[in-house]
Amino acid sequence: MFDSIFDDVKRMNKRQFIYQVLSFGMIVSSALMIWKGLMVVTGSESPIVVVLSGSMEPAFHRGDLLFLTNYPEEPVRVGEIVVFKVEGRDIPIVHRVLKLHEKNNGTVKFLTKGDNNSVDDRGLYAQGQLWLTKKDVVGRARGFLPYVGMVTIYMNEYPKFKFAVLACLAMYVLVHRE
Amino acid sequence: MAETPETVKINKWDGAAAKNAIDDAIREVLTGDLKCKESFALIDGRLFLCALAVGVALYALLWDYLYPFPQSRLVLIICVSSYFILMGILTLYTTFKEKGVFVVAKEKNGNNNRVWEASSYVKKHDDKYNLVLVMRDSTGKTREASIIKSFANFIDTNGTIVQPLVINEITKLYNSLSSDKKEK
Repeated sequence: MFDSIFDDVKRMNKRQFIYQVLSFGMIVSSALMIWKGLMVVTGSESPIVVVLSGSMEPAFHRGDLLFLTNYPEEPVRVGEIVVFKVEGRDIPIVHRVLKLHEKNNGTVKFLTKGDNNSVDDRGLYAQGQLWLTKKDVVGRARGFLPYVGMVTIYMNEYPKFKFAVLACLAMYVLVHRE
Repeated sequence: MAETPETVKINKWDGAAAKNAIDDAIREVLTGDLKCKESFALIDGRLFLCALAVGVALYALLWDYLYPFPQSRLVLIICVSSYFILMGILTLYTTFKEKGVFVVAKEKNGNNNRVWEASSYVKKHDDKYNLVLVMRDSTGKTREASIIKSFANFIDTNGTIVQPLVINEITKLYNSLSSDKKEK
């Protein structure tokens, strides 16, 4: 059975095999280039994120997919929902801007809070950090798709399942001709 | 990779697999039995385009890793746009230049150099194998012949390619194109 799966590959000549590998590479790079293209268009280093916690309920639920933009010329305002990174944490946080101080020279510092949390985010920030600045911002929420991101959450909770699915897809593309 | 002409067994209900297997058999006939030399320019062109596209994507990935996003913006714009342009060119190349040609073979016959191009296509959920053989001689004349035959004419019940039948068909086409030329 396993022998016959590889029959297609074994029968290929050198050029057909190279093409097979390259077409697999092109599937991966198309996805990559769409992502990078979105980065350029939105100005955000991560234009699509998944909400991982219930801290913004009822605005966003766990598993919602958010679209972000991060144009430098648009000022951050109180009440907006921003996605920011905190030093020492891998995963960005999605919370609402609570207080904001803006200086004449354009620099801002602001404080955030989750709608569903009873306290502000100072406890979540890095040790000794009281305010967020522009450089911490990944983007501002511009739109969302409810619950679509649940797939990603399950995938991340069961990494073995994720790798199995990816490996199967990769095998299929590599082994099958055209 | 496949040097020895072993018997090829495929799943005969899989149209794409059957087409590929027959294509391979025809290539073998043209380059083997009919002593033509395969020319790889056409497929190499496609491979070059693919490799270039993948290279551009890898370069963008590397650059973005070395210089995180806001800095890498310009390079990313260039890479992303050239990647999609390359994809467009690749599509044009396969639809208008390659047109399903799976083998180009050159034949040296005294001072008469002839080029043979075989292309094939199979409609979805159809068992008819459409083969077009084009002959181009050194004077620039082109002549083509085509056959439409069911897979059953090349593959037996077990899914094995019957090489003698393929040789037979191709030789017939080959001879008809060659003799046509002499009459004129």
